[in-house]
Amino acid sequence: MDRFLFLTFDGLSRGAVYAAFALALVLIWRATRIVNFAQGAMAVATAYVAYSVSDATGSYWLGFIVALVAGLLLGAGVERVVMRFVDHSSPLNGVVVALGLVLIIQGVLGMIYGNEFRPATAPFSRDAFEIGGVALLSRYDLFVFAAVGAVVVLLTLLFTRTPTGLRMRAAAFAPDVSRLLGVPVGGMLTLGWALAAAVGSLAGMLVIPTELGLHPTAMDIVFISAFTAAVVGGLDSPIGSVLGGLMVGLLLSYISGYLGATVAPMAVLALLVVVLLSRPDGLFSRRAKARTA
Amino acid sequence: MSTEPPDDTDQGLALHHITVRFGGLLALDDVSLQVAPGRVVGIIGPNGAGKTTLFNVICGFVGPQSGSLTLDGKPFRPRPHHLTRRGIARTLQGVGQFGGMTVLENVLVGARSRKAEADAWAALERCGVAEHARALPGSLPYAKRKRVELARALASKPRILMLDEPAGGLDTEEIRWLAELIQGAQTTVLLVEHHMELVMSVCDEILVLDFGKPIALGTPGEIRTNEKVAEAYLGAAA
Repeated sequence: MDRFLFLTFDGLSRGAVYAAFALALVLIWRATRIVNFAQGAMAVATAYVAYSVSDATGSYWLGFIVALVAGLLLGAGVERVVMRFVDHSSPLNGVVVALGLVLIIQGVLGMIYGNEFRPATAPFSRDAFEIGGVALLSRYDLFVFAAVGAVVVLLTLLFTRTPTGLRMRAAAFAPDVSRLLGVPVGGMLTLGWALAAAVGSLAGMLVIPTELGLHPTAMDIVFISAFTAAVVGGLDSPIGSVLGGLMVGLLLSYISGYLGATVAPMAVLALLVVVLLSRPDGLFSRRAKARTA
Repeated sequence: MSTEPPDDTDQGLALHHITVRFGGLLALDDVSLQVAPGRVVGIIGPNGAGKTTLFNVICGFVGPQSGSLTLDGKPFRPRPHHLTRRGIARTLQGVGQFGGMTVLENVLVGARSRKAEADAWAALERCGVAEHARALPGSLPYAKRKRVELARALASKPRILMLDEPAGGLDTEEIRWLAELIQGAQTTVLLVEHHMELVMSVCDEILVLDFGKPIALGTPGEIRTNEKVAEAYLGAAA
């Protein structure tokens, strides 16, 4: 039972990161119908910037903030310079461009920083403290829950309580109708990409210290898990992506804990295949319906 | 026949010799029109006459090959997302609402002022759909969704309200309500509509298009007795 509890909390902590990353994918999907396969590489790029700043200044938190700002700028830049000019007549075009971005970003990072794993420190202890004699959570896990929870709350408030959030949702639902209502659709898309990339950067900063460290491909496996989480939750559903992230985190934790870590990636892929075959709209998404009524 | 070019010194919206081609198709052929403030101007014609294209020119969705527009006598180059800022709101032929957003949220997107929420509620009340504010538009009957569409346009308090076939799919009672709304709108209205009884009852002036060409401009009484108009409609019916 102690082991089950430990694996559950460990899975929820990891799942929170997948949830944040899946949320970033969903934000872009809802606005542009593109799965941003470059999200992982973009997150790694901002993590490199963050750790460079931290190394230079000795302040983890300054680097952390720089990562989020760099994510905002990188996301806006990618949308304005690259994605805006993608021909949307075929959904494959956006995918191919995003995959091209992955190769470019990883190549540039390799040239600048090298292809060796670099240590990435965590701001809090990762040693689990005991509750009732059972090792459950570390301070770092609590930080992850707080950070992801704050992002989910802030994004929810943005999209439901602010005019900008309403316009972002409107622009994603029906761009032409939105334009008629005075919504600057291009600006909303840029903002959406910027926010998504910043959320991706946060996820990267949270997960990289728990992996082998910084590396140009450090987020590749995380991306697969987060993508699975987004598909499980429904690419159109922000709440679904959060729940999907927690589900995938728990699945990975239980499989790793009871069957061995080598089986876990296969389990994620199996889940992805099962969901795509049985409920391609995701477990938590309202059935795909007309985007305008 | 071509309507006379409008006087640039006049207030309101003016179209000067607008011509639009889609490939080999002449969609609008030398169309001029003056829409004075506070007037209700109808744009009618058989299917394919160019009515919606004319609306799309005013909204900036379609750029004319020749001709120009003025607003209050000044050159006007319409861009869709600047329309509400210029005081122009348009409804669409369908209902065009954001399916995943509530009725209130749909109308809030259209409201522009600092007291957007108050404007949105006022527009919902005016259109008789305030009680459905928290519902999703897709859950409402078609006529109610049309009213939501109107509320969304009115929420921006437009000086020029462009209605694209607002009576489509409505029953007699709803059309009567719509006529009252237009007559009490206290704003300039441009109305594209096939429902002749509605057009004749609410419009101060009517422009008739046929194959993109303006064939008549006048009061409802004048249009009713215009032979070219009758010929265009009878030809279309035949």
